[in-house]
Amino acid sequence: MQTPLREIVAVQARTWSGIEQPNEAAGIMADALAATIAGFEALRGQLAFEDEPSSFEAALQETKEPQP
Amino acid sequence: MNAAAKSSLLHLSLTDAADALKDGSVTAVELTTVALEAFTRVDKAINSAIWLEGAAALEAAEALDKKRKSGAMLGPLHGLPLAHKDMYYKAGKLSTCGSAIRKDFRPGYTATVMERLEDAGSVTLGGLNMAEFAQNPTGHNQHYGHCRNPWHTDYCTGGSSSGSGAAVAARLVYGALGSDTGGSIRLPAAICGVTGIKATQTRVSRHGVMPLSFSADNVGPLTQTARDAARFLGVIAGHDPKDPTSSAEPVPDYEAALTGDIRGMRIGVPTNYFFDGIDPEVQAAFDAAVAVLEARGAVIVPVTIPHMDAVATYGGIVSRVEGGTIHAQWMRERPQDYAVHLSGRLYPSQGIPGTYYLEALARRGAILKAVAAAVFGVCDAFITPTLRMKVPTLLATDIDAGTPGAIETFQDVSINTRPINYLGLPSVSVPCGLDSNGLPIGFQIQGRPFAEARVLKIADAYQRDTDWHRRLPPNVS
Repeated sequence: MQTPLREIVAVQARTWSGIEQPNEAAGIMADALAATIAGFEALRGQLAFEDEPSSFEAALQETKEPQP
Repeated sequence: MNAAAKSSLLHLSLTDAADALKDGSVTAVELTTVALEAFTRVDKAINSAIWLEGAAALEAAEALDKKRKSGAMLGPLHGLPLAHKDMYYKAGKLSTCGSAIRKDFRPGYTATVMERLEDAGSVTLGGLNMAEFAQNPTGHNQHYGHCRNPWHTDYCTGGSSSGSGAAVAARLVYGALGSDTGGSIRLPAAICGVTGIKATQTRVSRHGVMPLSFSADNVGPLTQTARDAARFLGVIAGHDPKDPTSSAEPVPDYEAALTGDIRGMRIGVPTNYFFDGIDPEVQAAFDAAVAVLEARGAVIVPVTIPHMDAVATYGGIVSRVEGGTIHAQWMRERPQDYAVHLSGRLYPSQGIPGTYYLEALARRGAILKAVAAAVFGVCDAFITPTLRMKVPTLLATDIDAGTPGAIETFQDVSINTRPINYLGLPSVSVPCGLDSNGLPIGFQIQGRPFAEARVLKIADAYQRDTDWHRRLPPNVS
């Protein structure tokens, strides 16, 4: 049986950051990361080796409204 | 001045009030006085302000009137009373960020946007209600009381700039700063029936502004009209050496672009994502808005927005991880001082891998380029409903109260606005109807990066033929 996501998040949050699950809503929202994981699974293979965060500022300039 | 005359002053648009101040038919002290009186009269019901400094505001207004009499107008906002989401730092002044954690926080420096607004002559009345740390789309606030919709106080205002939307809708101020990381200007604008613009990412300085997400935070105004928003944005936009991420792109004269002429402009209506599961009343109001634009000569074209799955997935984690990072220390030390819905939202970010976060940021540029090529190759701007749903009640979205389904409804509120933040595009929300509960409906207009003038031009053209932005909530006299 797969480990519930809230348990995985609890271990990660405690181990890496010293943070405990504060309430039940947090557990529900941790479980909801399943949709995020599914989203990322569907996108696998699309990241280009050369992609990097600074490409965004460059893209804003490259795609901007032409000046009249 | 009798009560009706006083109220009518506050019903003026920001630009009309500025004109009245300029020609001397009204003074800054008169406008500031009626605004403060209106807060006293109305705000018990809607709770749009966290704090006001009436005496200081009147003192500033008096000084501005003296300047005007001597012929020294400071700028395009001279004498106008404004109030702002309580997260814009001003040295020595309270800035609660809508939180218990910062209930006594008084920063030692001033936000560039606050300096620019006051240098342009505006009068600051105080700090407006907001979602705690700007982190919810509904306007709930456990610490200062929920902000309530002036159109019906059982309903949410939208967030996170809840007080900004409510105060402008209730005609308490002529404009207010909001901030928008996933829809937090456009949602309260749509839900409260006012106009709100999120400019291109990097267009407005964030120096001295409470952070939520380095990559997606935006500063912008909520006002009655698109023309008001154009004037307000023109004051705050532009490079700021104190914010190295702010763009050096020149700031055009936004108001000069508002000619009303959109003949031949190609306006896209997406064929995917933005209408999935839409409420029929919202759809009908949106269709009517499309017809208005078409009647003014715009050419309406269907457009498919590519990569929406990626935009939604990536856009959904960037601000969560960045917010989770900057709140980690308080989440360790005093998690009980957050509302349940906020600590609940911050906590799972600790479980999102860094590789996912970086993938989302690394692909952002490539996706923007692909979207721009596909969309702006066939249209000059595209429009969508700001929300797909009718305005929900405060109760229906109250996670802290344990309302069944609240988490899902809460997340669905911003489903049409969040993707625009990931793409970094300018977007203005404009009122376009009322639903069967008497609550506003809005649509949002997006353009290419730095096309603020174009989206405002479309918004203004629409407002020349409609009066949704002029309508008043039932109890606003």
